[in-house]
Amino acid sequence: MVETKPLGDGWYLVTEGNERWRVAIADAPDATWVFVDGQVARIESAGSGSTRGRAKGRGDSSVMAPMPATVVTINAAAGQRVNEGDTIIVLEAMKMELPIRSPRSGIVKAVHCAKGDLVQPGVTLLEIE
Amino acid sequence: MDDQAVTIRRLLIANRGEIARRIIRACRELDIETVAVYSDADAGAPHVSEADSAVRIGAAPARESYLNIDAIIAAARSTHADAIHPGYGFLSERAPFARACEEAGLIFVGPPASSLEKMGSKIGARALMTAAKVPVVPGETPSDQSDKALTTAATRVGFPALIKPAAGGGGIGMKTVRDAAELPGALAAARREAKASFGNDALYIERLIEQPRHVEIQVFADAHGHTVHVFERECSAQRRHQKVIEESPCPALSPAIRERMGAAAIAAANAVGYRNAGTCEFLLEGSGDSASFYFLEMNTRLQVEHPVTECVTGVDLVHAQLRVASGEALPFTQASLSQRGHAIECRIYAEDPQQGFIPQAGTIVLYSEPQGPGIRVDSGVKAGSEVSIHYDPMLAKLIVHAMTREDARRRAITALRNYAILGIRTNIPFLLQILEHPQFVNASIDTGFLDRESAALAAAIPRDLPPAAMAAVENHKQRISTLGTPGTPGTLGTLDPFSTLGNWRG
Repeated sequence: MVETKPLGDGWYLVTEGNERWRVAIADAPDATWVFVDGQVARIESAGSGSTRGRAKGRGDSSVMAPMPATVVTINAAAGQRVNEGDTIIVLEAMKMELPIRSPRSGIVKAVHCAKGDLVQPGVTLLEIE
Repeated sequence: MDDQAVTIRRLLIANRGEIARRIIRACRELDIETVAVYSDADAGAPHVSEADSAVRIGAAPARESYLNIDAIIAAARSTHADAIHPGYGFLSERAPFARACEEAGLIFVGPPASSLEKMGSKIGARALMTAAKVPVVPGETPSDQSDKALTTAATRVGFPALIKPAAGGGGIGMKTVRDAAELPGALAAARREAKASFGNDALYIERLIEQPRHVEIQVFADAHGHTVHVFERECSAQRRHQKVIEESPCPALSPAIRERMGAAAIAAANAVGYRNAGTCEFLLEGSGDSASFYFLEMNTRLQVEHPVTECVTGVDLVHAQLRVASGEALPFTQASLSQRGHAIECRIYAEDPQQGFIPQAGTIVLYSEPQGPGIRVDSGVKAGSEVSIHYDPMLAKLIVHAMTREDARRRAITALRNYAILGIRTNIPFLLQILEHPQFVNASIDTGFLDRESAALAAAIPRDLPPAAMAAVENHKQRISTLGTPGTPGTLGTLDPFSTLGNWRG
């Protein structure tokens, strides 16, 4: 049996047999976050279908931004052949460059961003066919 | 108080985040009014609400706000501030900013513009340090580039040596030479690569410092001819040149070397007519009395890691900065300073160590700092804060202080295990891995440690939380669906009427 006792401010005392943990739990719009002993887990809300943290999706043909960022370089144009692992776009966030690599080999169908754009996670930057 | 002293009544802080809050706190204690500045991204930030007044200086990108000299000077004028504290980063080491403050009749809480310029040029600083007898990494570009002359130069510089294209950078054409016998082959190869990459085959020969530690000395100078050092900080735990954990004292520094390094840092500061707080960075090679050290550069500002020095010396460096900036003499002398106990600082970054340290942006939905004896948290965020992509990913610093290094290490671990930040990923699990690593435990890390070990340390972070904790999450979700409306983040526990409903088979 696991017992959960609220302690306030998002903290809970969780007891199972002789063991106990102090656990913090908080809800974000798309997930529930949990903290215990310095470790964190993010449990996606059912049906939220979040694309956060993923640079690819839709059958690996769309390249997406993993986080809000500024586009600094685009190394591919429509009609161009790219290979899996090629750095096709470079984003910048928090003074760090984030290389976005091609999820597969193919021909660039369309580029949906421009140098200097501020892009959001889940937005398609480029399509490959 | 000194005759020449003026009083700072109102200080504008040209910065954001934890350092802005740190400076506001010091001003409160000294009865100085504070003016915060903020970009559009920071309108709701803690440093803005905590200051006595606040001025919007521009759009979110730093170059349009925190790096905009005209906007900051205008904000200081419109609020009748008499001084500006630049914090670290942004404009803190830019001579034109210090000069603009001077021209606007504002006290710049930092060194004179001329010191910033002298230390800002790597080549110029090296020449000045050599003249001041501050040891620098031995190196030279002989005007005679024959094998014979380069061999003589290498012998002067010492082995192991590093051969670099004089016109180069980025590690291209660099060769390590263990002894003179390896020189002819290495010189020929380095020349070919230098010629091919840079169109110039001139070579620079430098002593290779193997497995160095990064040790820096805090210095402080006033306008009355006093310059002191406030001991060292060890900052070898850095990932891609970004410091992660700092501590004081440095476990590898013997009293004799500490004294010599302190004297070298004072000589470096005096060589550029320094005033206020600054830091001389050195590479330390070896340990004990046989160690050698070499000047790297001087950081002409307050450092991120200044709290470890404050913990072990009891000095408030920001108070001292404000006093010295207003013309007073230093509030301490060399003889009055000593080190007591051990302090460790852990930088809390918004980054995901399990995803290649990718920076994180988003809303912090729960924020809960550790508390207790010897625990200090300097933070720039709170629950509800929006972490934006526009600035440095450092959210906060945890600083612990205890009698011994081992006690401080354990205190840091305990504190991090109670430091809950939810809504974005942080490096806290990674910090815990570093603090438990045998090489950190026995204080034998060098500046290459994290670059070698980061991937393994990140991979060692537990993937799964205890099943009971996950069961508690299920309980929590059920409560929310029972209540019908999601609770305000982080406050559900206090509102929850179903606290007795909390049984779940885990």
